[in-house]
Amino acid sequence: MWNSKLREWRRFFSVSTLTFRLWNFTGTALLNLFILIAVAAYLSPLSYMVATALKTNVQLSDSSAPILPAQAITYAYQGTEYPVYEVPTEEGVKQWALVNPFRKYSEFVDPANPDAGLIHWDGSWRSLVKAYRPAITFQNFVTLWHNLDYPNYLRNSLIVVILSEIGVLCSSIAVAYGFARFRIPGGKWLFFLCIATIMIPDSITLVPSFVIYTRVLDWNGSFLPLIVPQFFGSAIYIFLLRQNFKTIPREMDEAAMLDGAGPLRTLVSVILPQAVPVVVTVALLQFFNMWNEMRMSTLYLSTRQDLWTMPYTAQAFITFGFTAEMLQASALVLMIVPIVILFIAQRFFMQDMVVTGIEK
Amino acid sequence: MEITKKTFHLRDWLRRLHGHLTMRQREGLVGFLFLLPWILGFTLLKAIPILVALGFSFTDFKMLEPEKTQFIGLANYINFFKDTLAGSSLFGSIAYFVQAVPIEMVVALALATVFSSPRLRGKTILRTLFFMPSIIPAIALFVIVIGLISPGSGWIERLILDPLNLPPLAGAFGLFPILLAIWTIGPGFLIMLGAMQSVPPEVYEAARVDGAGPINRFFSITIPMISPAIFFSLVINMISSFGGVALLDRGLPFSVSLSPMEAYINTQMFSYSELGYASALAWIMFLVVMLITLAIFRSAKYWVHFPEEEDNVEF
Repeated sequence: MWNSKLREWRRFFSVSTLTFRLWNFTGTALLNLFILIAVAAYLSPLSYMVATALKTNVQLSDSSAPILPAQAITYAYQGTEYPVYEVPTEEGVKQWALVNPFRKYSEFVDPANPDAGLIHWDGSWRSLVKAYRPAITFQNFVTLWHNLDYPNYLRNSLIVVILSEIGVLCSSIAVAYGFARFRIPGGKWLFFLCIATIMIPDSITLVPSFVIYTRVLDWNGSFLPLIVPQFFGSAIYIFLLRQNFKTIPREMDEAAMLDGAGPLRTLVSVILPQAVPVVVTVALLQFFNMWNEMRMSTLYLSTRQDLWTMPYTAQAFITFGFTAEMLQASALVLMIVPIVILFIAQRFFMQDMVVTGIEK
Repeated sequence: MEITKKTFHLRDWLRRLHGHLTMRQREGLVGFLFLLPWILGFTLLKAIPILVALGFSFTDFKMLEPEKTQFIGLANYINFFKDTLAGSSLFGSIAYFVQAVPIEMVVALALATVFSSPRLRGKTILRTLFFMPSIIPAIALFVIVIGLISPGSGWIERLILDPLNLPPLAGAFGLFPILLAIWTIGPGFLIMLGAMQSVPPEVYEAARVDGAGPINRFFSITIPMISPAIFFSLVINMISSFGGVALLDRGLPFSVSLSPMEAYINTQMFSYSELGYASALAWIMFLVVMLITLAIFRSAKYWVHFPEEEDNVEF
């Protein structure tokens, strides 16, 4: 956007083309550099999680240990493992293994030259810092896998996600098709009402639905309160789908109707094939929402540990008093699934949010 | 005398009904059948619970002794005005809305503006990276914040405060709502970016010929042209700041909701099992949210430039 202005200035001050190009290149480089720094800063809290999940508990409890995953160096001298310390000497800092720690002085051995024997060093070894080398460990994930019933939690999450996907997609597509293609008496007002329901806060329906689910239907301790409401469609998805269906030319379904296809047939064989991107978008949104779902699970699943879903389990870990590195590892396991799905479906998803978002 | 057994066949009845209808009525009927899931859902999951909650709010309904329930009129609503905790929760909810939504909107708009520059490279991957935190479950975010601020080993202390010789943060948990707000820009960012990309380049070209500078062009072309997208993302962010589910749900349970009113309703319900009072509180919250929504929609006609609806005739 600066180019035309720059061109004017160039004409004015008769700046050479080379200078202009240099200036232009600098601008582009600065912009890209800025956005790279921005994305690094934006995602920086994640690096804490990843780094901690790959650490050992030993490193976490040593306050002088490096911030990134590392392992304390040891050295085997005459059949015994000794810890290696950063020892300040006259010839700079040396990494020596501590063999005999005493109060006033200590005896070290130099791993580079063990034949030289024990080296006498004056000073308190407690003031020394342990030597580390970078190392990552996946032990935390192995421990999690052995101590928790992950296959079961994953199965529960998948049951909830898949059944609610089926429910919300079938019903929302049908309703969106009804709104997009049929002249219904008062249809416009019904659509307004549908959009208006998006604004209703959850807490207003919380009390009656809790009473109905637990007292009348006796659905406490089952997946039903999570799944059944999805079969009635979701207003925001209906909105997104309807807006997209409207952009599909009507001539196509009229042609199908003339060939004798009923409304349901037209929806399945004419509308849906052309609306694949938006349907995928809605399916992904629903996946993220149901994978992260916590409100209903905290209300109805708390008593049944065998029905806990992945996020509910992670929440329970905080109260179990996990150590820091296990906590971070378990949260990482929880969020890796939606992130991987996002990156796989990224093309589809991003493109279509862009298209559907414009209209209102 | 022969007795003819008259049976009612739904199928025949529908067929006969179908024969009697005009084309237009038939279309309406079929369309209505397609809407049926939503109409049922609206009635069963929204309309009836809202009215039942209104009914509960006039009683002293308790979870454990439902048979003792009595009609107590407006007592719950009067209690609300005496309950300082409830009042401060409601203000807390509004304060959270007022502080989180502008952060989300401004960051998303700034990012979308940078992304609409043709000079930026690697947009596809950068877009995904900026969107990614918006799908991270709230519980994982919570764990990250706990780690970042943990005394002694948290990175904020080790990387920022210690090198600068600053004292440890007090009340650092305020970081959570801020991080959550900044990490929720995804949908708004994509919606605004999409709108910016659909602004025809000729408009900018014309403004440039007329001598409008970049800042001028941003405020007098970009902002008005994408105002429907800004409005849409404002509505989405508003709903999620009040604890509703719009587009993307982070999975914050009611009890730790960032909207303090929601958390307070939850406490009344599960800690004290005061369902009547909880319903009254929920209705007050509902009215406040509806009032804010109405104000936002009313204000729209002053700053949102909706495109012409070309399909008004169809309904």
